[in-house]
Amino acid sequence: MSGKEFFVGRYEKLGWKYEHSEPKQAIRINVMNTKKADIIKRLEALGIELEKIPFLENGYWIYHSKFSVGATSEYLLGLYSIQETAAQIPATLFTDLKDKIVLDACAAPGGKTVQLADLMQNTGAIIALDVKRQRLTALSNQLERCRVKNTIVYHMDARQASRLKIKFDRILLDAPCSGNFATDKEWFSKRTIKDVERNAKLQREMLTEATKVLKDDGEIVYSTCSLEPEENELNINWAMKNLNLQVEKINCYGEKAPTNIFGKQLDSSIENCRRIWPGQTQGFFVCKLKKRVDTL
Amino acid sequence: MKPIKDFVRQFGGSISLEESLIVRKENRYFLINEKLKKLITKDFFYVGIYLGKTRKGKFFPSFNLLSMIAEKEANKINVDKKTAWLFICGRDIFKQGIIKVMGSKRKGNYTLILNQHRECLGFGRILHNLDEERGGAAVKNISDVGDFLRREK
Repeated sequence: MSGKEFFVGRYEKLGWKYEHSEPKQAIRINVMNTKKADIIKRLEALGIELEKIPFLENGYWIYHSKFSVGATSEYLLGLYSIQETAAQIPATLFTDLKDKIVLDACAAPGGKTVQLADLMQNTGAIIALDVKRQRLTALSNQLERCRVKNTIVYHMDARQASRLKIKFDRILLDAPCSGNFATDKEWFSKRTIKDVERNAKLQREMLTEATKVLKDDGEIVYSTCSLEPEENELNINWAMKNLNLQVEKINCYGEKAPTNIFGKQLDSSIENCRRIWPGQTQGFFVCKLKKRVDTL
Repeated sequence: MKPIKDFVRQFGGSISLEESLIVRKENRYFLINEKLKKLITKDFFYVGIYLGKTRKGKFFPSFNLLSMIAEKEANKINVDKKTAWLFICGRDIFKQGIIKVMGSKRKGNYTLILNQHRECLGFGRILHNLDEERGGAAVKNISDVGDFLRREK
């Protein structure tokens, strides 16, 4: 069970007709390091034309640029980050991040870690984990470039987060996933349903550990850049039943997630999750979870 | 702590760093705050503000440390837009590109390189007294923020 026809057929059953997409390049201004108006002026003076992303406070699309936006002195000084549009959404969904203790469970290469630090105004603490040691260097470089001050990085599998003996106010679980065709031209030829199921299992293990280390009044934001429901709606439905989590309402770009997946009826609150089909952005899924009040 | 203090002194400046908030991981130094201090365990990979590392007895500063030095009184040179760009591409600095010199102009001294927005781009060594009329490179590039790109290769 693989191939373009197989996967596109699944998307159609979920209500989306396949279309080729090329997401626009996006940047996010690090407002802890610069004023928005100043950096926009500087980039425009360099001949970089920006277009405000309507649903993101600090996000801009690169409308036109003669050269790489990853090679300006403004980028090297950490005044902005290059971050895909949909990937800018999860960190913005937390309430009240200032002074909180935050877990970024799968942090490398660090785009969202920097964004969390920016939203926290470098207060509180971020514990950033990644299981792949070689990716920690990329993460550290991002933190240094963007002058992040509030983060501790560990070489650790998110499924072992309880070893840290910390209870977290906020947890970002941007889980490793199967990805999607919008950012990988070879996607259809290399992915099978087995990969999807393997990733879905790993994600459930991560959700289980995240729930263990979450404070009773804490929040988990779960996201993937997969379009496969096993990694998204079905996993969240499983987490509601098995981890006593509830899905919170969120207000962000994207469609309400379907509650009927290939004939299987899910909890109605799954519609509070957001599914983003490829178009202006890559494919994405995001939701916010809390511990169910009646289980506390 | 000593390698950091010695390094900062070479710019004719000083910064106050609380010794109890500096942590070392192998050859790398980091500045933390009280909140991170309470949470950190010894097996961390990176924490707080990276200050730099030592290798073969020599100290290699981070760009965060250079910016901290630049906020205080120290040897600094403001350069024009084109020179700033060439500097982050790894080039040395010629006298025509220098807008303003603060602190030492003496040959052999270290100086920070700042752009028109007073942002620190790196540092270099003065190659000849900056009040002398001479051709050629005036400041040798030792380290610049273009290093973030070069590290990725």
